Amino acid sequence: MAMATPMLDLHEIQATVLRLRPAPYFGTHVLLRVDDAQAGREAIRRLTLHIASATNWWSKTNAWLAIGISYTGLEALGVPKESLQSFPEAFRVGMAARARELGDVGVNDPQGWEKPFGTGQVHIGISAFCDSEEKRQRTLAIAREQYEGLSSVRVLARQDFGAQPGDLNPLGYKDGIDQPPVEGSGVEPLPGQGRPIKAGEFILGYPGEAGELLPMPQPDILGRNGTFIGFRKYQSRVGAFNRFLHANASTDQERELLAAKLVGRWRSGAPLTLAPEVDDPALGADPRRNNDFDYANDTHGRKAPFGCHIRRMNPRDTALTRLTDVNIHRLIRRGTTYGAPYDASALSEADDEVPRGAMFMFISAKAMATMEFLQQEWINDGNFIGAGDEHDPIIGRQEEGATFTIPKEPVRRRVRGIETFNVLRGGEYFFMPSISALQWIADMGGG
Amino acid sequence: MATQTATADRPKQRLTAEQKIQKLRELYADAPEIGKAALENGIRMLTEELSAPPRAETAGRIGLRQGKVSELTVFLPFVKGGAKRLRGLLQLLEGNFRAADAVGTVHDMRFVFVDDDTKLLFATAYDGDFDPYIEDFATKIPHAMDLWLSNCEGYPGMRSVQAAKDWIAKHQIAAEAWYVNSPNLTAPETRRLESVGKAVEELLDKLG
Repeated sequence: MAMATPMLDLHEIQATVLRLRPAPYFGTHVLLRVDDAQAGREAIRRLTLHIASATNWWSKTNAWLAIGISYTGLEALGVPKESLQSFPEAFRVGMAARARELGDVGVNDPQGWEKPFGTGQVHIGISAFCDSEEKRQRTLAIAREQYEGLSSVRVLARQDFGAQPGDLNPLGYKDGIDQPPVEGSGVEPLPGQGRPIKAGEFILGYPGEAGELLPMPQPDILGRNGTFIGFRKYQSRVGAFNRFLHANASTDQERELLAAKLVGRWRSGAPLTLAPEVDDPALGADPRRNNDFDYANDTHGRKAPFGCHIRRMNPRDTALTRLTDVNIHRLIRRGTTYGAPYDASALSEADDEVPRGAMFMFISAKAMATMEFLQQEWINDGNFIGAGDEHDPIIGRQEEGATFTIPKEPVRRRVRGIETFNVLRGGEYFFMPSISALQWIADMGGG
Repeated sequence: MATQTATADRPKQRLTAEQKIQKLRELYADAPEIGKAALENGIRMLTEELSAPPRAETAGRIGLRQGKVSELTVFLPFVKGGAKRLRGLLQLLEGNFRAADAVGTVHDMRFVFVDDDTKLLFATAYDGDFDPYIEDFATKIPHAMDLWLSNCEGYPGMRSVQAAKDWIAKHQIAAEAWYVNSPNLTAPETRRLESVGKAVEELLDKLG
């Protein structure tokens, strides 16, 4: 890893903003409700001592805790009205209330979400990231000790997560490869990651790509070095996914190529742009090579289709139909896989409901606006890449009769019968305060 | 300036064509003779229009949309000397708008100077929502935007994205009605079909 001089207040920023999950990873998300402001602040005060900062985020750290607070959580903790009003509107009303703007309709409609998501009761989210099951237990116990004795702080839900065999996601792919590089974070970008993006896009209190500070929650100590998280829980419909592969490809080899065309990478992580014909697991495993490409030699999408997942989520140098600055629509993402591992032989509708999927933390100083943009423009539409009404084949919401186009010589192939492979089962927006902001919240009641 | 009452007081329950005609007769009861006659003589086409399902939707915060195409109309007061500068700029550009080409989603733009050169009426048809892409203007074409909008009062500069968004919304007037001939064709799609059409003609030429 090539180092650079950090320009950010790393000791203030929470570790999860910059630190990659361990490999393999084990962890738990805990959702809390606060029924009494004073008790809630006491929990925050105690927990803050155990929340990891991003100091030396690049070093191999094997267990840490992160914390986020929702808008209703800030209210429940007694944050003053003028501060509450300084938060962006989409954050204040919450993810469920923004369903229309997020395209969370039909199968993804909040009416079908699991409780407690979207009820306004989720006040605090705690996440433990560890590199072993034993450390997960220990780290979780530390968190629990901080709120357990407080009767007005209640656990609403707990969801363990962990790496599948081989670090694969529930659809059987290596994921989390391409992350936006943050300027001033102290580490040089990996080959292919592109130039560092201004820190203000991801962390409050620094200039963004337009050269200006983004609007920040007030007072300054509350907003600075904080960020926002879009938390989304998806159920992976593995049966539907496999049925689609079987219906449209007749051999294992063809199925694997079709699966790669949907994502833009083979299951190993090897990008189609560099390995267009057959998988190259050594390439997929090498962080210095598996992201080192652009689309200059694939302007027709014959290697990586325009509509594939990774080309949508980071079009790089693809010519887009609308004036777009790719660098201002990026999110840092921490994907956390839960439930049963991918099963290539799962073909039934019952397999679609076997609990397994991913819970994503999408991190950005303007996470709400960026998620709405991505959901509307890059995920549930295709016009920006000239793909008409097609949606993202992996995380998009598919309508009846949806298609996926694979550019090919001499003529393109249009695959039919694509379904919603990842169904949204819940989501919340959280503010991820700096360490000082957590202390400020804890001290609001006068210490 | 911005008014957004047009959609609010529309009846919730859909009226039948007959009820609508009845309403129109009431509205036109005190119209000039030529208007009253037009209502009765043109009743066939009117009935067709009044029976059809509605095509208009709203676009983003303010404005109307039909299919994929939205309208944006703003009334912007000029700063001192602004009208003169903008007129000079527009005349020298002679209809070349590279920034609009680059934006890719703009179907048309019109710049009309009104009220004795004290205000600019700017009207455009564009694809989708306007808001999501304003930030892209701020990092990609801030100078092209600032060059003409700086002639208008209160313009905060494109790099102050949030303020610029609010400023535009403040001066926007929702159209009372909006019609698009090909509501499902975006500007890029139109260009694509143009080139597909050309390629087909060439192919047919070769075959013939």
